[in-house]
Amino acid sequence: MKNFDIRIGGVPHLDDVSLEFKRGKLYTILGRTLSGKTTLLRTIAGLDTPQKGELTLHKKEFLSLPVWKRGVAMVYQQFINYPHLNVLANVTFPLKRAHVPKSEAKKRAREVLAKVGLSQLEKRRPRSLSGGQQQRVALARALAKQSDILLLDEPLVNLDYKLREQLREEFLNIFQGQDDAIVIYTTTEPGEAIQLGHELIVMDEGAVIQQGNPLEVFNSPSTIRCAEIINDPPMNILQGSIGGGDLNLRGKVTFPAPNHLKGLSDGPYLFGLQAADLYIGSDITGKVELSEISGSQTILHMRGGIGSFIVYEAGVHHHSIGSTIEIEIDKNRIYAFSVDGELICPPTITSGQGR
Amino acid sequence: MLGLKHKHIFLLPGLIVLVAIIIFPLLFTIRVSFSSWDVVKPGLDWIGGQNYTRLFEDGRFWEALRRLSFMAVGSVLLQYALGFGLALLVWRDVLMKRFVRVLFLVPMMTTPVIMSVVWRTILHESLGPANDIVQLLGFEPVTWLSTAGMAMVSVILVETWQWTPFMFLLLLAGLLSLPRDPYMAAAIDGAGPFRTFFSVTFPLMAPISIGAIMIRLIEASKIMETIYVLTSGGPGTATETSSYYIYIRGMRDYQIGYSATLSITYLVIMIISLTIIAKILTRNIARD
Amino acid sequence: MRTLYLTFKYGAILLWSSFVALPFLWALTTSFKTANGVTGGATYIPWLQYKPSLEGWKVLVRSGGQGIDIVQPYISSIIVTLSASIISMALGTLAAYGLARFTYKVGFVKNSDITFFFISQRIMPPIVLSIPFFLMLQFLGLLDSIPGLILVYVALLLPIATWVMVDFFSNVPKEMDEMAMIDGCTPVGAFLRVVLPNSIPGIVVGGLFCIIFGWNDFFFAFTLTFTKTQLLPVAVVALNSSVTPWWSLSASALVSVAPLVIIAFVVERFLSSGNLAGAIR
Repeated sequence: MKNFDIRIGGVPHLDDVSLEFKRGKLYTILGRTLSGKTTLLRTIAGLDTPQKGELTLHKKEFLSLPVWKRGVAMVYQQFINYPHLNVLANVTFPLKRAHVPKSEAKKRAREVLAKVGLSQLEKRRPRSLSGGQQQRVALARALAKQSDILLLDEPLVNLDYKLREQLREEFLNIFQGQDDAIVIYTTTEPGEAIQLGHELIVMDEGAVIQQGNPLEVFNSPSTIRCAEIINDPPMNILQGSIGGGDLNLRGKVTFPAPNHLKGLSDGPYLFGLQAADLYIGSDITGKVELSEISGSQTILHMRGGIGSFIVYEAGVHHHSIGSTIEIEIDKNRIYAFSVDGELICPPTITSGQGR
Repeated sequence: MLGLKHKHIFLLPGLIVLVAIIIFPLLFTIRVSFSSWDVVKPGLDWIGGQNYTRLFEDGRFWEALRRLSFMAVGSVLLQYALGFGLALLVWRDVLMKRFVRVLFLVPMMTTPVIMSVVWRTILHESLGPANDIVQLLGFEPVTWLSTAGMAMVSVILVETWQWTPFMFLLLLAGLLSLPRDPYMAAAIDGAGPFRTFFSVTFPLMAPISIGAIMIRLIEASKIMETIYVLTSGGPGTATETSSYYIYIRGMRDYQIGYSATLSITYLVIMIISLTIIAKILTRNIARD
Repeated sequence: MRTLYLTFKYGAILLWSSFVALPFLWALTTSFKTANGVTGGATYIPWLQYKPSLEGWKVLVRSGGQGIDIVQPYISSIIVTLSASIISMALGTLAAYGLARFTYKVGFVKNSDITFFFISQRIMPPIVLSIPFFLMLQFLGLLDSIPGLILVYVALLLPIATWVMVDFFSNVPKEMDEMAMIDGCTPVGAFLRVVLPNSIPGIVVGGLFCIIFGWNDFFFAFTLTFTKTQLLPVAVVALNSSVTPWWSLSASALVSVAPLVIIAFVVERFLSSGNLAGAIR
């Protein structure tokens, strides 16, 4: 069982980190920019050095190895290829460094190029290729190495929307075959993180703040900060309290506490609601401050007695700024956080089932 | 991260070669400056600071330094102004752009000494074309190389011919890499060509201008070959610069000890002045 | 207004072009003169004002007696300049890469200090080094020899090579270097296999500067050689006595500066194709 253990400290921009990766799994690291994701990957690759700690790959000490001996594969977010070599030579480059015989190297390279759909472009130079194609070359080169550890640092962020969707699907297929490797993929997009990985790690300001099964993390973010990162648009956080069997939002709206929150002791709380769990109805009123169209949905930024909040409305609608709308809350989908931001009680039903 | 060994492989070979070939001669010169090595008494003895006191009272040395400053600063500024002007002229659209640009470049590529030899024939008062041209323009023939003042002018003339292309090259490259936006903004604001130049072009070119001026100052302060060929420091000592004086004392009079003293002092003065000038100039950009 | 500007512009360009061309044209026409084309005052147009002859040019390849034999110094100059340039570029590019990519620290000395040290060698007036170099070469038995000159020229050209390449490397993002190392190259391997092949513009500029400064040096060749070895500039200046006729002088001058002028045109070609734009910054 090849495990990769990280226990490090003393890297700039990174708190002490302690993680364990298991072979054959795809991990996504989700975090905003500057959350430390890239630094973490660079530390694994050997480009940044921790002051203390250890990196262990299958029981063998990894930290003392210089970059070129670690046998890690990495795909950067800028399309990095070797401009002076053609596509095939780009992919065989690391293999030649590893003294793989020429014919074997070429064979492997061609297999991988076929997997990423670039067989026709063998002889071309990276500069003459489109962004998406260049990134595929980088990916092919990384895959050809058949490394134990494959790192991808926001590989799709510099591609356009459609291409990203397309490549994301291809990734799922490609990574199916990597039974032996540990694949670590970083992103800033929650959707991508949840879709791709077996296990999700959330990072913020240099520290790991939650990890686990993607859907579980999504449904039960351990802190408000985590909930902010993993929800797009961000989760609505409203001040309120519980008292006398009732749930009260900012003193303005009161209703009987939903079942899953009945057991909570009285006192102040921070309540969380995803935008998808607020819809046109008749619980609270609010004024529209901004109305965005995203895909085939309308996102309403509103302000009312309970504070500011964001509502998802299916379909494309027009609401003028300043207009007043009535919003209903799906009470069974309320998250309860302590005043310090810790999750106390998540809803027991998943989104959309409350209606 | 990269291990002690690897990064040193890069720097050490060059550094060692440089140190070996430069430092030892330099140290040796310092040592010699404390000796009285000359034709009469060859060899390294020790006379303490006697050479330095001699230097302190050596009017000729300080004269040469003054002359050098004037010549170097004057010709560099002239080259800068001309080079900038030329670059501005051929920056955008001009006929035969490529040919003109190469032509302007050529003098810099020639061997300065050799061209000085040619210039000597040009500036020959009776047999050279220079005075023909002067008389064509209606003036009296000029004593290019035989009067003190004109000799200085001649040297600056030749230096300008030789090195303006350097300024031209650097400043043109700088102009070509300027961003477009400030110009569009200036045009929208209705700025005329002079206004645009002083408010947009000149400030944007400040870093490159300073770099170019510094490099040329450093090179110009070493001027010697042109003088050797054109005027031999003359007439008299009218065009004798520090380098030339050191050459005379060292190679002609064979006063090795004293010329070493001159060399070291001159070097120190140069390093200090150039550093000061560099700091002043760069601080001025930082302030902007 | 516009025509005024255009007149000024092309007038100025014409004026400066004439100034630039003057020495060349003068040397050219003078090289075809004989005594009566010179002694009576300046003459310009062949056949009209003087009788042209090839004497000035023929003398160049004749050795002994009347001859000048420019061929030998020519070859020496080529050997010394090329060798010194290649060595300087090799050492300088290596050092520059180190300075641009890694951090060195010995006591209080950091990268920028080391770079300054390299570059500040140019402040050194040749005079200061001439006597020590003389003695050093004498000690090594390399006076008046080609290897001796190459050694000295490397010292002169190394700072130039380093200066150009440090600037160049600082403007090249290091992601590619990192990728090469991740792919299994040691830092030296990454440098040789990946960085160098992609640094051609910088190397061309650096090499060019080395060749220019090397070919055009006078002083060190002057003080460090005598009879056995002679470099071109020294050979030509040696003719600068009142004994040598102007026509041979002019011919030698032209022939000596020709190579670099030709290189100027070649480089311009390269410049126009956009390759060099990045290297010059």
